[in-house]
Amino acid sequence: MSYALLLIFLLPTLGVPFVYLTGKKSPKAAAILVALIAIANMALLFTTVPTVLNSPNHEYIESYYWIPILESEFTLFVDGISVSMAIITLVLIIAAALFSINYMEGKKNLAVYYSLLTLLSIGLVGVFITSNLLLFYFCWELMLVPAYFIIGGWGYRDPYRAAFKFFIFTHAGAVFVLLGIGAIYMVTGVTDMFQAQAALMAFPDIAKWILLALTAGFAVKMAVVPVHMWLPDAHSEAPSPMSALLSGVIISAGAYAILRLSLATVFPAVMGTVFGSDFMHGLAIFGVISAFFGSLIALVETDIKRIIAYSSIAHMGYVLFGLSLFPSAAVAGTVVITAAITGTVLHLLTHAVSKGLFFLSAGAIMHQTEARDIREMGGLAGKMPFTATASTTAALSIAGTPPFACFISEFLIFVGAFEVINTDGFFLLPTAFMLVATVISLAYSLRYLSHVFLGQAKSEGEKKILDVPNYMKLAMAILVILVIVLGIWPTFFIHLINTVQFI
Amino acid sequence: MVEIWDVALPIVSLVAFAFLTIPVFRVIRKSAHKTALTLAWFSTVFIVSGAAVANLTVKYYSLPSPQPFLNITLTDTPAAALSSAFMIDAISIYMAIMFIAVSAVVLFYSIFYLGSKERPSERYYAIMLMLTAALMGTVFSGDLLTLFIFWEAAAAGSAFLMIYKKTPVSLNSTLKYLIMIIIASAFIVFGLSIVYGLTGSLNFWTVRQTLMALSDKRLLLVAFIFIATGYAIEAAIVPFHFWLPDAYTAAPASSAAFLSALIDQGSYYVLIRVLIFILTPPSVLNWTFMLAVMAALTMIVGNLFALIQDDVKRLIANICVADVGYNLVGITSLTSLGLMGNLYFFLIGGITTALSFMAIGIINHYGFKTLEDFSGLGKKMPFVSLALVIAGLSFAGIPPFGGFMAKYLVFTAAIQANLSWLAVIGVLTSVLQTAYLFRLVNYMYAKKPKDETTIKEPKKLLIPILILAAAIVILGLYPQIVFNLIEPAIQQIQFIP
Repeated sequence: MSYALLLIFLLPTLGVPFVYLTGKKSPKAAAILVALIAIANMALLFTTVPTVLNSPNHEYIESYYWIPILESEFTLFVDGISVSMAIITLVLIIAAALFSINYMEGKKNLAVYYSLLTLLSIGLVGVFITSNLLLFYFCWELMLVPAYFIIGGWGYRDPYRAAFKFFIFTHAGAVFVLLGIGAIYMVTGVTDMFQAQAALMAFPDIAKWILLALTAGFAVKMAVVPVHMWLPDAHSEAPSPMSALLSGVIISAGAYAILRLSLATVFPAVMGTVFGSDFMHGLAIFGVISAFFGSLIALVETDIKRIIAYSSIAHMGYVLFGLSLFPSAAVAGTVVITAAITGTVLHLLTHAVSKGLFFLSAGAIMHQTEARDIREMGGLAGKMPFTATASTTAALSIAGTPPFACFISEFLIFVGAFEVINTDGFFLLPTAFMLVATVISLAYSLRYLSHVFLGQAKSEGEKKILDVPNYMKLAMAILVILVIVLGIWPTFFIHLINTVQFI
Repeated sequence: MVEIWDVALPIVSLVAFAFLTIPVFRVIRKSAHKTALTLAWFSTVFIVSGAAVANLTVKYYSLPSPQPFLNITLTDTPAAALSSAFMIDAISIYMAIMFIAVSAVVLFYSIFYLGSKERPSERYYAIMLMLTAALMGTVFSGDLLTLFIFWEAAAAGSAFLMIYKKTPVSLNSTLKYLIMIIIASAFIVFGLSIVYGLTGSLNFWTVRQTLMALSDKRLLLVAFIFIATGYAIEAAIVPFHFWLPDAYTAAPASSAAFLSALIDQGSYYVLIRVLIFILTPPSVLNWTFMLAVMAALTMIVGNLFALIQDDVKRLIANICVADVGYNLVGITSLTSLGLMGNLYFFLIGGITTALSFMAIGIINHYGFKTLEDFSGLGKKMPFVSLALVIAGLSFAGIPPFGGFMAKYLVFTAAIQANLSWLAVIGVLTSVLQTAYLFRLVNYMYAKKPKDETTIKEPKKLLIPILILAAAIVILGLYPQIVFNLIEPAIQQIQFIP
């Protein structure tokens, strides 16, 4: 199908009014409509997979008339990495929509909520499937506005404050991205990232600044320490389906953008220089700091969602460390994708699924018990067996235990790290630290599980705690299955990712 | 072939309609269908004048490409070329289309806005039409004197719109405005007389060429300082911006919308045309750095003052000051990208400020003025609030709303002109802008309303608001619609004689 990617944009856009009108009558139908749109989009994405796997360039491109005066076309493209990211994003959107049916039941203005969710899905998928920098920025900011209103409108405690923090932090990051994009356009005269990559090779001095501006901007979205402050608030105050999307997709989009724009587009211009390798070392150091910071705070937090939120910071630390292993020299004009990069992208996918599941199960616990402090919980395993299974799957995957999804990706990152140590001794220390950090992540995962599900119930509740309703089960079941399948058989995605060639 | 009548027709028709409006309203007021007849009358006005503009556009663009700078005079004698001349280029055409379209929306809004409260004053509408005509004359004029006359008519005439309410506050701020305008025009006349003395002409291109060949530039510098100060006062560039927030806050919302969407943009146009194109091509005077500093100051001061405002209308008025700064960034860069950004910004910035003043006008009507009053407004008045949020997001430069592309273009232009520091200040102030605009959004959606009264939004007033909101989204998503008109203007710069 030759309009597959355009349809992915159009379906949710045209769907918004329908979702709104359906939601006026029945929120449940609206949620299912959102899920159906996402399923249709997924089917459309899968039609591009054979082209990605089999065509000589391993990519699928569509291009439409948009703003010719700015050398800007509505270019939609997928390659192995972006198609994988988009597929996982859509899975999470489906899960979040289904989960919302029970979770949001009885809340006000659900028609607006589901319309915003549909709008959000355009931006979430859009960032992964475009190669035009302006369109990328459009989608990048389109993630922000609906997310702001969802967090603010349906969140907990003081949600608009958290949403405001989220918006201002990430928007401040985004304007630096905008400066970077503007500079790329001004230096090279193109706004397509692949053309820009070739054209930028001639301007290593400016490329340095562009690289810094872009990476700093994306790092805010990725919540790298020290610009992570928005994340714990936003993730913990958002309604759980939104937390799942925030943690699964939005911060991964930051990592994807660093890989795609900073590293694959701009970095080749400074490749091989002292600045280039210093930049990579810097990324590794920030990665290690984030991993330790996130894990250690997660170890002492007592709020059920803040633990998971800090664990996201830790995992973005792993990802940043993985990104810093991007090959710093091109062999024969191409950068062969290494185990580290495969692992990093795979980790984005596995982390998205696991963390999505983790947040949904935490949401399920909050929904059923109306508590958020893990010290007040206990013994829930008997009362909520399904949720307990889901949480355990998620927590063990986050901790990196086989056979769950995150194990294989972390393993690949470390394999890649050892490869790189052979050529650049600097990475020895960060790798060692990273190995220690994985142990801490096991510690906080187990602490979470034991506090919440094991032991005795702390307060003999007045009301009986039941396991979750069916749609929540369905949403979690989809992700549980995916976590296990990805853990045992990640080959499909590894194949896809390995088709990508940078430069 | 473009004749003098093609050029004069839009201006003449608007003036004629303005004069006709008063007797026509005598008739309308006696009729039973007042609103319908009023609408019909103004629809006729805008269809006819719009057709006149369209006629000019079509005739101009059917000329062989590249489109020329078309000098049109009353007679062929050399004396006529000195003054009383029209000059048509792609920028004039673009501005004329923009003025007629935005003015139509604002006028229809004011029919309902003023009509809802008191006896609608036909003189108010007549003045709006007159001012549109004067602005049209400004963009068509081909020499400094014609431009001065038309522009001062527009700038001074807008005092009538400000004073419409006749409250002490509006009298005070209008007086302030008029004094500033008179000082400014005195400065400009003085500067222009020196230019005339230096060059012996006031025709744009003659002046430009004579100045480029000038060896002793001291007198020119004096003239330049006077003219620049005059136009800086009129465009509300910091430190001459004090009149603007006062005047816009005291004026009724429909006037504020008209002023910000048309008169403001007219002042930027004059600034670009006179200072950049005519008096100071880079080879004559190099004052880029000074302009850049003023741009930075205007952005910073405008946004900081907006940050501390409690009155929402005043907050938007301060954003207008900040917008002057963003426009100046484009002007400073002196690149074609910057000009493109400016022209796009004229339209989008104008629409956005007009939209927010219109929305705030409706909200003020129910007695909500300060940020506190706006608490919980998102539930009480969903459509007006939505419009205000769209305007806010567009101000903040968040895609897919129009303001994004405008800011992207001017900042990229600044980077291109080696003024990266200005671009950085620009984006930082625009983050600040996002912050206080979201504080407003926060009040509207997060805070609980003080009372639970429900408000029925006036449907008629919503129509112009929703038109502008839709325009912001559509032009933001697909800016090529506007760029098609801007592109010839960009191509033209290189042919400046």
